Amino acid sequence: MPEIKVTPLGAGQDVGRSCILVSIAGKNVMLDCGMHMGYNDDRRFPDFSYITQNGRLTDFLDCVIISHFHLDHCGALPYFSEMVGYDGPIYMTHPTKAICPILLEDYRKITVDKKGETNFFTSQMIKDCMKKVVAVHLHQTVQVDEELEIKAYYAGHVLGAAMFQIKVGCESVVYTGDYNMTPDRHLGAAWIDKCRPDLLISESTYATTIRDSKRCRERDFLKKVHETVERGGKVLIPVFALGRAQELCILLETFWERMNLKAPIYFSTGLTEKANHYYKLFITWTNQKIRKTFVQRNMFEFKHIKAFDRAFADNPGPMVVFATPGMLHAGQSLQIFRKWAGNEKNMVIMPGYCVQGTVGHKILSGQRKLEMEGRQMLEVKMQVEYMSFSAHADAKGIMQLIRQAEPRNVLLVHGEAKKMEFLKQKIEQEFHVSCFMPANGETTTILTNPCIPVDISLGLLKRETAIGPLPDAKKPKLMHGTLLMKDNSFRLVSPEQALKELGLAEHQLRFTCRVHIQDPRKEHETVLRVYNHLKGILKDYSVQHLPDGSITVESILIQATAHSEDQGTKVLLVSWTYQDEELGSYLTSLLKKGLPQSTP
Amino acid sequence: MEAADEWLLQSLRLYRDLHTFELQAPTRLIEWAPGNRVCVAGYGQSHGNEILQLIPPPTLLTKETQGLCPERDFKVECGGFSERPVYSLKCVPDTSLLVTSGPPDNSLQVWQMSAEDSDVIKSVSTIATENDTGKSWAKIATISARAPWVLHGSRLDRVQITEVESRKNVYTTGIQASRGSEELSGLAFLDCNTLLLCCATGRLCLADIRQPQRLTEATAVPSAPCSEQWCMGSRHGAQGLETSSQPVARLSSRGLLILTDLRKTSEFLASVKTRVPSPGSGAEFLCVSWAPALEGYLAISGFDGTVHVYDTQSWDSSGREAEPVFIHKGHAFGGAGGSGDSPLVTVHTWHLQKPRTLLSAASDGSLHVWDWVQPCGKCG
Repeated sequence: MPEIKVTPLGAGQDVGRSCILVSIAGKNVMLDCGMHMGYNDDRRFPDFSYITQNGRLTDFLDCVIISHFHLDHCGALPYFSEMVGYDGPIYMTHPTKAICPILLEDYRKITVDKKGETNFFTSQMIKDCMKKVVAVHLHQTVQVDEELEIKAYYAGHVLGAAMFQIKVGCESVVYTGDYNMTPDRHLGAAWIDKCRPDLLISESTYATTIRDSKRCRERDFLKKVHETVERGGKVLIPVFALGRAQELCILLETFWERMNLKAPIYFSTGLTEKANHYYKLFITWTNQKIRKTFVQRNMFEFKHIKAFDRAFADNPGPMVVFATPGMLHAGQSLQIFRKWAGNEKNMVIMPGYCVQGTVGHKILSGQRKLEMEGRQMLEVKMQVEYMSFSAHADAKGIMQLIRQAEPRNVLLVHGEAKKMEFLKQKIEQEFHVSCFMPANGETTTILTNPCIPVDISLGLLKRETAIGPLPDAKKPKLMHGTLLMKDNSFRLVSPEQALKELGLAEHQLRFTCRVHIQDPRKEHETVLRVYNHLKGILKDYSVQHLPDGSITVESILIQATAHSEDQGTKVLLVSWTYQDEELGSYLTSLLKKGLPQSTP
Repeated sequence: MEAADEWLLQSLRLYRDLHTFELQAPTRLIEWAPGNRVCVAGYGQSHGNEILQLIPPPTLLTKETQGLCPERDFKVECGGFSERPVYSLKCVPDTSLLVTSGPPDNSLQVWQMSAEDSDVIKSVSTIATENDTGKSWAKIATISARAPWVLHGSRLDRVQITEVESRKNVYTTGIQASRGSEELSGLAFLDCNTLLLCCATGRLCLADIRQPQRLTEATAVPSAPCSEQWCMGSRHGAQGLETSSQPVARLSSRGLLILTDLRKTSEFLASVKTRVPSPGSGAEFLCVSWAPALEGYLAISGFDGTVHVYDTQSWDSSGREAEPVFIHKGHAFGGAGGSGDSPLVTVHTWHLQKPRTLLSAASDGSLHVWDWVQPCGKCG
């Protein structure tokens, strides 16, 4: 039975990273290669030894696919390709290819330079790894090799995020990565066609969440900023250069305009350059509708938002500043933080996840006394807030996606099976598909029922349909043909053609059956009786009485002879070829029932 | 979209906190369960309705709103599937059971909340009722005094108390049909011996289960020229064992609000007219409830897409018009923005500890949690 095997790599129940191995029709694909952000040692990397004990990964894996640039999906990629060793193709979308190395480098700097770790990838490794990347466009079918093809679908979530369809022959798997089904200001909702994959692989972690609306999150953000500015405080928003900064700016700009606020909003210059680059990437990525709204206004021509100068940080009075980097681990945002941290009127709003070891992570964990460079202690009196604008699917979203794609099976990773029984039942009941929930390190085997297309020769089709109706109209029609498997194609042809192509001679099989009939009359009279009987019953068949005294029913021959010992018994010889087996058997049983008395 | 954006900006000063959620299917009940959990359930389809027990976001789990709160979402803790629409749900105190009811008949369904190893709410048994005419659905209330009991019935003369686990009948009203067989709109345990029964006609009765024949009636509501439906809201203490010192509110589909002190049932404590639009789809979702942590405050809903909050402390029985202290309009600004009819609020409830926090649900599947700001110039 053909099957698809899925193994989420990772230990125990941890949900910190994505790295899934899929085997489909003899091809092996790795989906995502994430780093577990919670560990500081080798546990942060997926356990690749599971894949192949001593063989080369390059030989075993046909390709690696990365869904988007978040570190829990791509963070272990350079380690995997350069330190463990993989030289095959790595597929991702164009924006992901552009943004990944920046994030990886940032992450590397924090881990190695700040925390002094040694078993980590180098800058050169990141570069070498990216050389193996093949960028793909949305809805473009990419042939990995002769049999394996992949296609990316829009996933929403973050810039460049994609869901991938992996197809070999007529078996396919769709991997969703992270996605969301509700559109927001600059990223649309995920979309997939009714591709009916054998398997849909998705995350279970968000499936049991009912998410607060984006607008309420934005409202909360505006409220916090407004309250701080109203009391004369300063708001610092550390942002990643190529992320939601632009969206938050649009939000604040609209709010400032509406409320007629005067406090200055600044955007650090390092951001503007990178932002333009982001803008270009973004414009080619989004769809027509969103592109139009951004073409109407240049994202960086804000009325209320100005470029930041270092000196402004010392200005009195309220202000809002967007500065990089996003985790407060270095640079301008850290500088500003140090200046403002001591005043409780001020606020810092962290817009995303912070890696361990960064100042961002420390203050989010509740630390209020930080040791800075030169053993200086910094007391943090400013308010620390965290806003997550990251868009993820929830229970409703998963159901919507399943409805769109119509998979035959669903597999959810990163969940505790017993805690997900309700969701499993829900999916199984609503869609009548099987739902699997493997633990990390556990392999799930899904049986597929691939359809194998077979071409039938026209001649055969015509011939088989030309034969008259069967005695029993309720039975399905049985066709005889020969299946030829040649050059990866399947054809159904007539036996004669098959024999010809194969250069074989045909053997004829003929069956003869004896039926005893009580009839003292002469043979030719018996034959006449049989003929009239059959003619009366088999009205749709060609029943003929030949001059030589035999009867034919279609191609079946019936002859009568006298029994050698008993004059009162006639022996009917019913003879047919193998192809006429059905009719032949039918005739025989019919004749065995005997002839009606009253036939002349 | 414009109006919705405008409201959101206004909401900055109208609310301390605001969360809006979208359930997969609309609910007409919001019930608090032990551990500050919230239960909702579907009522629309003929089968496959979900019962969900949700863990609210951390802001709602504690009395004080914390500053740093990244988590703003509800989590589905466990769920079950109901063959029939769920119109009413009550947790059975001191057990891990809950009871639901809904059309097409008066029977009750008993469910078991998940054990450690599963998140599925399992159907355990059905409590059938005798002489079930199958025309309406049972209203229910639960208590765990002498044993876990469920009070249920759809008509005044068919009220029963059944022991939940054994399904044994413990009490049946001795009320003859001649004295009243009106449809009930609500019932409650005032304490382990006293029942409060409210009919859709507005008739409010007190029954003592130790004396099934006796029935104390509160002063009748004023009769109306056209058909009018009534529902009631009573203060439920945490264990349902509080005495009848809090007034009972009766709300009509025409917007009349009557408060009755159960120690003096022969008169109205207060009677006002609230300004609500005349109900279009009837009184199906009429709801009135008292604030558990804010003395004298109640909320009403079911007329349109709004929830009104009132301060009853200055009310008298003159029947004059009362002004709401606050109106929650969020449901009218639905997520999809102008998709057909405006949604109707199906139910609302107050947070048990946070004085000004309410939860409300509407027919479009929305679920709002809001903490309103007391407008200046009002005391309380």
